[in-house]
Formats: sequence, C-alpha cells, structure tokens
Amino acid sequence: MRRFFIIIGVLVLILLMGMLIGIALGPVKVDAYRLFNAILMRGDASAHILVWDLRMPRVVAALLVGACLGVSGCLLQSSTRNPLGDPQLFGLGGGAAVVQALAMAGTLRTGSWGLIALSVVASLIGAGAIALFASRQGISPARLALIGVSLSALAAAAATGILAEARVFGQQSLNFIGGSFGNRGWADVVPALPFFGIGLVLALPAMGKLNALALGDRVAANLGAEPQRTRAIAIAASGILGGAAVAVAGLVGFVGLLIPHLARLLVGHDIRAILVISIPLGAAVTLFADQAARLLFLPSEVPVGLVTALVGAPLMIYVARRVL
Amino acid sequence: MIVSLESLSFASHGKMVLSDITTVISDRALTCLVGPNGAGKTTLLRILGGELRATSGTFLIDGSDASAFSQKEVARHFSIIPQDVQPPPHFTVFELVALGRSHPSRRALWWQLSESGHDAVRSYLARCQVEQLSKRRVEELSGGEQQRAWLAFGLAQEKRFLLLDETLDGLDILAKQSFFKLLKELAAEGKGVLLTTHDLDLVTQFADRVIVLNDGRVSYEGPPRANLQHLIFRPGDWK
Repeated sequence: MRRFFIIIGVLVLILLMGMLIGIALGPVKVDAYRLFNAILMRGDASAHILVWDLRMPRVVAALLVGACLGVSGCLLQSSTRNPLGDPQLFGLGGGAAVVQALAMAGTLRTGSWGLIALSVVASLIGAGAIALFASRQGISPARLALIGVSLSALAAAAATGILAEARVFGQQSLNFIGGSFGNRGWADVVPALPFFGIGLVLALPAMGKLNALALGDRVAANLGAEPQRTRAIAIAASGILGGAAVAVAGLVGFVGLLIPHLARLLVGHDIRAILVISIPLGAAVTLFADQAARLLFLPSEVPVGLVTALVGAPLMIYVARRVL
Repeated sequence: MIVSLESLSFASHGKMVLSDITTVISDRALTCLVGPNGAGKTTLLRILGGELRATSGTFLIDGSDASAFSQKEVARHFSIIPQDVQPPPHFTVFELVALGRSHPSRRALWWQLSESGHDAVRSYLARCQVEQLSKRRVEELSGGEQQRAWLAFGLAQEKRFLLLDETLDGLDILAKQSFFKLLKELAAEGKGVLLTTHDLDLVTQFADRVIVLNDGRVSYEGPPRANLQHLIFRPGDWK
C-alpha cells in the first residue's frame, strides 16, 4: 500500500513537471517572472492569453486524453482477459473516428458538445459489438482481438474514405490520423470532461469485480462477480472514455494498449490499483509525448501518435518479451 | 448439510441432458460422479452451482427449495473448479488463493485482505501443499501443482461443498493418488466434495460414495464397488 502511494506521489510530481514544461516552453519565449504572474492570473494580457488560452487547454487536453485512454485500455484488457485490449485496436475509437471524419468533411455540422456526444455514441456502438462477441462462451482472446482489429480497420477505412471524398488532405488529416493536441482550446476540452467523469463513475461498480473475471466466467460467477454484467459495464465505460479521447485528439495510438501493462509492472496485478495508476500514468505519458511532438521540431510539430508509437513500440516489445 | 435432488431433469435445445435424477449429496463425504463423456456430469455440476436451472424436478439445499434461489444464493454453498479452468494471467499462487476470499460485491472496490485473511490463505496453501509455491505465477506451475493451487482457492472460499469437474485430467498416477488422499482428508474434516472423474480404480479406493451417470440417468449410486467399469456404457447403449 505504501509503495502504491509513493508511485502516485511520484507520478503527480512528474505530471506537475510536464504541465510546467507545457506552459513555459514553446515558440514564443516567456520569462519566468511573466510566466509566474500569468499562472497566478496577474500581469500582462499577452502572457495571460499565451498561458491560459493557448498552452493550458492543450496541456489539459493531453492530460485528459491520456487518462481516458489509459483507463479505457485497462477496462478492456481486464474485462475481456485480453492483453491486446485497446480502445483503438478493438474498434471502440473507430466509430468516433468516423464521426470526427464526417465533421472534418463538413457533412456533420454541430458544436463541440454535440460532436463529442456523437463520438461517444458511435464509440458505444463499437463497444456494444465487442461486448456482444466477448460475452459468447468459449471465445478466445485471439479471436476477440481479430474481431476488434477487423472492426477497427473497417472504421479506419470508412474515416479515410470520408476524408478523401471530401478532399480533406494535408496537415488536418495527418493530425487526425496521427493524433494531435495542436490548437486545442477550452471549447474542445470542457465538453469532454463530463464524459470522462461519466466513464469513471460507470466503471466504479465494475472495478471491484474485474479481478474475479481474470479467473474465467464460470469461476467469476461462482464468486458472485456477475461476469456478463460486469463486462458490459466495463466495456461501455471503456467506449465512453475512448470516444471522448478520439473526439479531443484524434487517433493517438499505443497509449491505451501500453499503459495497463506499464501500470501492472509498477503496482502488481490487482486491477483496482492498475486502474487508479492508469489515470496519472496515461496522463503523464501523453503529456510528455505531446511536449516532444511540439517542441522537438520547432517551429513545426509532428502528430503526437508518432511519438507515442516511437516510444510505445519498443516498450511494448519489452513488455511482451518479459512480462506477458 | 445435505443437497437432495428429486426427479430432476434438464433439457437443452430440445434434447434431454439429465432425466429423473434422484440422489443425495452430503457433506463430510467424498462423492465421485462417474460416467462416459456426454453423460451429463458437467451439466449436473452446473445445476448444483446455480449456473443452469433444472427444467423440472426439485433441488433442495438443507430442505430449502434452491430452484427459487438466485445463482449468487446457490453459489454461497458451492465452490466450483470447472473442467476448463485457465490460470489467471500474471497471478501468483498467493494472489489466486487470496482472491477466493474476496467475495466481490459493492464493497469489493475497497476490499483488502485482513491479517486473519492472510493467515487463512497461508493455512489453505499449506493444507494443499503449495505454500512453498506461493510466490510463483500460477501459469508457470506443473499441472498437479496448478490443481492444488485451485483446490486451495476453492477451500479459501470456505463454502460447505467443493465441486471439482475432472480436475485430475492430465495428472500422473502418483499426483492423482495424492490428490484423492487430500480430498478424502478434507471430506473427513467436514467438507462435502463432489468430483467428476474417469479414474475408476482411484474412485474404488478413495470415494465414500459413487454416482454413476449413463445417458443423463443415475444407473448406480452407493458405496464404491469393484468392477465399476461394468456400470458405464457407451452413449446410447444404456437403457
């Protein structure tokens, strides 16, 4: 227990450091005094705008999306007993990607709130399909992963087709497919907050029962863990969180897949601890990936998904070889 | 504590799987359920564990009609170790057995193994002779060691009955003998153990009671006797 709180404390410190980097560094230089005053909402208007209207929303968006993807992957992996559980790999983010592509193509015209709500609904449709397949007795983790990957590929093809048909090319498409936090304002972030809350609150009653699901449905039912119901709730919560993440940042890869495995390395196999750790860990990984994406190639920036893949792929290979 | 089944039947997709089963399973006894593949042994265990509901007949637990109980209520009396149980990924033996004491509920979110819970887990690990393996991952153990770990998990739930579905499949004869001996001791200490198995020699040697199922019907029940194999028929042969 002591170790758990120490890890939480270290992660919070890392997060604070990442937030400071996100606010302090960028193409426009701000000295420490002006920055400090701007953080305290004092001082000149230009520094205030830079900190509170340009950089802070982006930082909060990265924190939120990372936390959403970490928890979403964790819920999927534990409820389906599948180490490949990831909202994007399993097609949960695919529905949301189609909605986003329709909005970028101009076919779907709605405000930020409507767009995020529609993304979450579309993601829940993917979640429903996965929950349906996962509830079938005897379906192996490999078959479930194949179904998820197929759903995901289908949705990705549809989203790409929509973007191509509407001639949305270049940076905008790249940012969407690779994931990006560029130009995110409060109007993009605030509507996602309630869905983050709903996803977490929905997951709460299932969290205590997910450990038993690791023993298989029959043993879990014998322990009183109600496997079908618990899995449905966990996948629905995962869909809400995954959909909200795609709506804010596009398709940020590897975070949902990797974070639960990293969390397991840190805190052991109790899924309750893994879920809690996934929040700051997912947020920290995504926040630092975004800092690398925007600062390493100044004045231009690369999609954040590129950084998460570059860092995540070797880490995932390590986890696969040493832990799985 | 006694479980009684009276004229119990179960049909699935229009086919009778169990017909007119009348029998009694008591605690403080090692009862072995034998019969050919497809005779309905697993189905009977699933009904006892509350997973399936009988199509007709009576299922009584200590005189109370269990058919009115929810699966949770029925499962309160039975620990089940299914035939196709898979080792949980990454879990150590200690973590697996500790999970047997977790009783998932609304409070499970905050549940922690108490000091007395730790002691209980250690005692069940010792009882099943896997204490020295407690820090090893379950998936790394041999078949016999895994089955002992699962048995400790079943015991940790502290329910009156243990339902073991072909738990001994794939073990060598020495491991099977030692497992049967352990089950016999547990039964002598008060646990009701119901084991489905094909090891008739060991059943004859260790069981307190035998139930023979053929084509979903009880063809023999009573103390173990020699030549049990003569009571087991190919599906369709028994009338």
